[in-house]
Amino acid sequence: MLEMLKEAFRSISANKLRTALSMVGIIIGVAAVIAVVSVAEGTSQSIKQNLSAIGSNLIMISPGFTRGGGGRISTSLSDLLTKDDAQKIQQLCPSVVYVTPMQQGNFLVQYERQNTMTTVLAVYPQVFNMMNLNLQEGEYFTQEDENSRRRVAVIGKEIADMLFPDGDAVGKTIRITSQSIRQNYKIIGVLEKSGTLLFLNPDRSILVPFSAAENRLFRRSYVSSIIAQAYSEEVAPQAVSEIDAILYSKFQNEDKYRIVSQEAMLQTINQTMSLLSFMLGSIAGISLLVGGIGIMNIMLVTVTERTREIGVRKAVGANRRHILTQFLLESVILTLVAGVIGVGVGILLSRTIALIGSIQTAVTPIVILIAVSVSIAVGVFFGVFPAMKAAKLNPVEALRYE
Amino acid sequence: MEIINVENVRKTYRMGDNIVKAVDGVTLNVFGGEYLIIMGPSGSGKTTLMHLMGCLDKPDSGEIYLAGKCVSKLNDRDLARVRNKMIGFVFQQFNLLPRLTALENVELPMIYAGVPRAIRHKRAKEVLTMVGLRDRMEHKPTQLSGGQMQRVAIARALANQPQIILADEPTGNLDSKSGEEILKIFSDLHSDGLTIIVVTHDLEVAANGQRVIHMRDGRIVSQEVRTSVRNA
Repeated sequence: MLEMLKEAFRSISANKLRTALSMVGIIIGVAAVIAVVSVAEGTSQSIKQNLSAIGSNLIMISPGFTRGGGGRISTSLSDLLTKDDAQKIQQLCPSVVYVTPMQQGNFLVQYERQNTMTTVLAVYPQVFNMMNLNLQEGEYFTQEDENSRRRVAVIGKEIADMLFPDGDAVGKTIRITSQSIRQNYKIIGVLEKSGTLLFLNPDRSILVPFSAAENRLFRRSYVSSIIAQAYSEEVAPQAVSEIDAILYSKFQNEDKYRIVSQEAMLQTINQTMSLLSFMLGSIAGISLLVGGIGIMNIMLVTVTERTREIGVRKAVGANRRHILTQFLLESVILTLVAGVIGVGVGILLSRTIALIGSIQTAVTPIVILIAVSVSIAVGVFFGVFPAMKAAKLNPVEALRYE
Repeated sequence: MEIINVENVRKTYRMGDNIVKAVDGVTLNVFGGEYLIIMGPSGSGKTTLMHLMGCLDKPDSGEIYLAGKCVSKLNDRDLARVRNKMIGFVFQQFNLLPRLTALENVELPMIYAGVPRAIRHKRAKEVLTMVGLRDRMEHKPTQLSGGQMQRVAIARALANQPQIILADEPTGNLDSKSGEEILKIFSDLHSDGLTIIVVTHDLEVAANGQRVIHMRDGRIVSQEVRTSVRNA
């Protein structure tokens, strides 16, 4: 066996250029699989991190269809989510700890000569707790601010940097405008940078007390969405069904609202990402297949070229299995070496993508293991036919071959 | 004692549309330690007969016994074992593996026999020394002369200490001096008790044998037995 390994290495290295060229296909295939899967895996990991960063056990309640556009425009309040629904959820759902209604809209925000378009979120003070939003400076608005409709605001880091390049945002008054609306809010806090969370970006948002904005800025009685938080992960599904019961008794129609728990979202993302990485990986895998065909081709050429050698080997006592093993070993070594090089190239590629695209990539040991074993499998699969051909050669004819 | 019995063996080949009766009902007994020459024009079936006796090929009909054992029905693995242990081939074209050194070429049959590395090295050096190539062991075939290559091939044939040496036109590609050296080695091996079968159409080569059989169109047409063996 050891002799055969030595022999295989020797004959592979006898024709270096050909060997290298035939390996290119496998190298590209493996590298592509590694790179693609690492990007998908990295993205999935960063989404999961973000999602768990926004606090646990959150439940998002949103209207079942979009108002406006070309669709149905609902005028009846009974068809829309309101802050009363939020209050009802708070009172009637034992598995829910916090609830906040949320108004969400884009406004022009000004401070002296600086201005920017940004998202204003009108929420209850519980939201800071629910979504794990930490302060960089100043303070949160409180229930007291909510009760007295105080016009105060907690702003995201990016907004603060934009409007107050010199810092010192806390205590300043900003103007929030939209068409005829014009309201002044006093900044009392700046949030720490949190990165993009799944459905909103606190870094680019301005949070104000719900009561202070509902009539002044938004001037409507329905809300964009409601966010609830379950007591624990265990009761999260129960919380979802409690909320569902309340909303169903109001709407009498499941299509008019949507309840999505964080868990369900995580699952959906996981499913989507694994499907995506499977699909992209399969596409990359096609080049593995093509590489495998290249290997088979080169092995067939090798067998033909070495027909006489095979005859000699048989004459001095090699049986079919010896010959089969010898050629199979050659193709497997070829693909294995190519696979290992491909893993190296793939890791480099994934690092480069991470650097250039500034996205997270992750090469997991499992992926490397799979890539290497697939390379070996390709070597066996595409090497078996040429090796069989070699093993079956009639020694007399092989010796006669010129 | 007879070492090879060929009993009414037939072998046909398909050459394009023609069916060639390469060996057409041959019966032949070879004694242990005999030096046998098979002569005949090209296409007479002498090489095919040698291949059949050497277990490189199976007869279409008839039986072949090596040392009393019927080999015409053996499977691939057992045939390979017989070729490996019992028989040593020497070809006109030498048939050395070009990528291996002389030493490695000689080791090849022992690798297939599963001989441990150390013993293999020792034995290979031994036989190479025996054929006078002590100082050419690490040379590749391309660095050797025709006579030297054929001596490596003989060393390879001897590696597993076979009972029978089958040689097909062993001097056909050599100048007369190298050819004589090869024939001398065969004579020596014969003196040591090996059974030597040489296929040739060269009368000078044939002069070395104890018995000469003549073939034509796949049949043995005549044989002459010489009592004396020429000492070169």
